[in-house]
Amino acid sequence: MGTMNLKMLLESKELERCPFPIPVGWFHVDFSENLKVGEIRNVELFGQEWVLFRTESGKPGMSDPYCPHLGAHMGHGGKVCGEHLRCPFHHWEYDTSGWCKSIPYAKVMPPVVKKQAILRTLPMVEKYGMLWAWYHPQCEPPSFELPYIAEIEDATGYAGTRRGSWTANTCIQEIAENGVDTAHLKFLHGAPGIPPVDASYDGPVMKLDIGKGYIVGTAYGPGLNVMRFNQHGITATMISYSVPISLDKTQMNMSFRHVDYAEGTPELHASKKVIDHMIGAAEGEESAGFESVDFVVWNNKKYRPNPLLCDGDGPVLQFRKWFKQFYPGQEDSTKI
Amino acid sequence: MARVHIKGRDGIELDIDALPGTALMDALRDANTGVEGTCGGMMSCGTCHVYVQADWLVRLPAKSQDEADMLEAIAEIVTVKPESRLSCQIPMTEELSGLHLEIGPPT
Repeated sequence: MGTMNLKMLLESKELERCPFPIPVGWFHVDFSENLKVGEIRNVELFGQEWVLFRTESGKPGMSDPYCPHLGAHMGHGGKVCGEHLRCPFHHWEYDTSGWCKSIPYAKVMPPVVKKQAILRTLPMVEKYGMLWAWYHPQCEPPSFELPYIAEIEDATGYAGTRRGSWTANTCIQEIAENGVDTAHLKFLHGAPGIPPVDASYDGPVMKLDIGKGYIVGTAYGPGLNVMRFNQHGITATMISYSVPISLDKTQMNMSFRHVDYAEGTPELHASKKVIDHMIGAAEGEESAGFESVDFVVWNNKKYRPNPLLCDGDGPVLQFRKWFKQFYPGQEDSTKI
Repeated sequence: MARVHIKGRDGIELDIDALPGTALMDALRDANTGVEGTCGGMMSCGTCHVYVQADWLVRLPAKSQDEADMLEAIAEIVTVKPESRLSCQIPMTEELSGLHLEIGPPT
């Protein structure tokens, strides 16, 4: 017998399920209607707790909970005062960008207060009727913008109130990798064949064309993916906005939209059926949506940084190379 | 020990001993000179302000930008002079024995 490649046999003992840091990007925090003026509450995202609040003028803010002064948790007893978040402990006040705007008893403001934000906050925008936060591990400002999405932002012409939210016990990259893993569509989902995939990468944007126009998707960083399913003569759209809760837990959120066809038309029926098919097993369909088959894999797998790929597999490694840009500082890591 | 000659806020002069390797602020605070040193050397409070006698000034390490910024900030409420320093930014050495300074006014 020749020498066995023991690494091949033993590597899995050393593997991790989620060896990645929280990626850079815009991420869905909540729907706009769920945060009222003057409201303040704690949310668990990106591997830590944050204080989410809305100022009197309506501006959303999301800050590190712990006051830079003496460390009080501002989400327990803190208040929105005008445009500021006020710490309960000594009433230091911060704006939504983390600048300290008031220390009610200091005769002299510490000089650093005038030079920079002293409280970590996340840049936020409101778009698609949602609150979005920009996460960067080194607090760098946004390096790209969220796109216009006609299906949500066009005031007329589109319909669909269906939304979904699922918790996956894995990281966002592992979930997204299924988009380029076309072979699993046949074997896990039961699709009739392995569809061809065309992937193109441009900065934070990845475009995927699966099955020659059957599914055309565009990812804008790790936190937003717009996928258009073209079937039965209609286009139905899945807007997917996943957010890391922690290193190994992801909240997958989706909105489903379609053209605002008249009630009772075959186009409306087809649109709803395509949407059913995206999620689970639609009536009369051969293959299964993600809900019924993907979680069992995501929730139990380990990440192989050196996978054994064969001909017929999708462009997994190109996808990983693209995704690596969202882990600044990890360029030389061998674990990812 | 390094001997430091102080003129207090009340005008009374006295000598104190400062331990080499510690900040001048520590010795001034512990000697109840009115120096508070609230922020502990972070240059964020300005309560350890002293006027260093001109001939000693040149023998001290140069001011950092952060120290200059804090002095500029307290200038709104007290007199800041060219010989103003934050005593938390003066590490004591044997060579500084004989240092002459005046405690700055309360902020």
